[in-house]
Amino acid sequence: MGVASFITEMTRGRTRAARLGTDTRRRRYDDVRELIASPRDPTPLVRLNHVAPGLDAYLKLEGMNPFGSVKDRTARYLLEGMRERGELDGRELVEATSGNTGIALAALAALEGIRLTVTIPSGVPREKLVLLKLLGATVMPTPDDLCPVDNPRDGAIALARAIADSPAHRGRYAMPNQYANPDNVRAHYETTGPEIWQQTEGRVRTFVAGYGTCGTITGVARFLKERDPSIRVVAVEPQRGHRLPGLKNLEEAKPPEILDRSVIDDVVRVEDGPAYAMVRRLFREEALMVGPSTGAIAHAISGLDPESAGLVVGISPDSGLKYASYYASLVEDEGGTA
Amino acid sequence: MSEHIATGVTADAELDCKGLLCPLPVYRTGQALGRLETGQVLRVECTDPGSLADFPALARQRGDTLLSAAEEDGVQVFYLRKGAA
Repeated sequence: MGVASFITEMTRGRTRAARLGTDTRRRRYDDVRELIASPRDPTPLVRLNHVAPGLDAYLKLEGMNPFGSVKDRTARYLLEGMRERGELDGRELVEATSGNTGIALAALAALEGIRLTVTIPSGVPREKLVLLKLLGATVMPTPDDLCPVDNPRDGAIALARAIADSPAHRGRYAMPNQYANPDNVRAHYETTGPEIWQQTEGRVRTFVAGYGTCGTITGVARFLKERDPSIRVVAVEPQRGHRLPGLKNLEEAKPPEILDRSVIDDVVRVEDGPAYAMVRRLFREEALMVGPSTGAIAHAISGLDPESAGLVVGISPDSGLKYASYYASLVEDEGGTA
Repeated sequence: MSEHIATGVTADAELDCKGLLCPLPVYRTGQALGRLETGQVLRVECTDPGSLADFPALARQRGDTLLSAAEEDGVQVFYLRKGAA
């Protein structure tokens, strides 16, 4: 700044204020990425006071992360790992995602000027597609039965893999591959797991999470069982052909490479009906506005034996705000003017 | 536009999927057929070996007609006629 303009600024009383800087105690942040939960600044645990009678059960509200889901942690670790290994240099990203990982990756990629293509399985709500596009991602909706021969229900994963590996693309794309990348597990081993341990003061006895990419359940369970091997880990698996975005039935979808079944004690099967009925109860009885997968997880929690479960923590992967189009059918029989 | 020698069919559109791995050729072909009118013909070139099995199944799945499938110098060439939507 020249002397003349400095004097002009002074006379107007507008010298540039000193930067405030991040202060987590005041919840003031210089960069939105600092809002991604960590043991220093965890996502909240909220007790279920009505839908799990007889149980001392809490949901960990991952929807409070800045990009709206548990996948904020995953995306941060995936990108950090790729950067450290030199896999990002000048490349574009391609990833298969039911939306939440894509949204978190798109947000982080936008901040770093990295282009992102996401392949999306069928049935992902319209809200998520809009958010992905707003964040600048290229979106490729993919039918599950895309491969007409040899037809696993994983068309989006196969398509992302093909984009990354096709010789015609000459290595232009890098694929984080949350289903096989150990950084997905590490995100939860280093953040979600320690947070639960601290927040429950080491008293958690049962941990409940869904089968999806299996990063959350594997990472958290591994951490908790290292602290106390008697902690029980319950996996929630949806029915075949389910409508619960983010969850996977591991009979119809290929089990993710990062899944470690040795840390899982029980698998609870949940059908769509009870999961969505629980979503409605969570909204109305607990005022918890959660996504469909939380309904499945809370339903599984409500069926635990109060005598043996002890202090229960379940993951609520995201909030319900991105699912209005899904939830419309839950209320359309109720009439009214909406 | 290319004309298929054996059938005399002229393609209305062409798609180059050489160097693309399965299922990208199937995905791109589905998109390209979506842009055509019923009865129009698409010529696709592929190099992924899986395409020889994928394209007949793709045509059946979508209700299109696979007019021909041939291999020329390591490149698979498919002619598909778009069926009624």
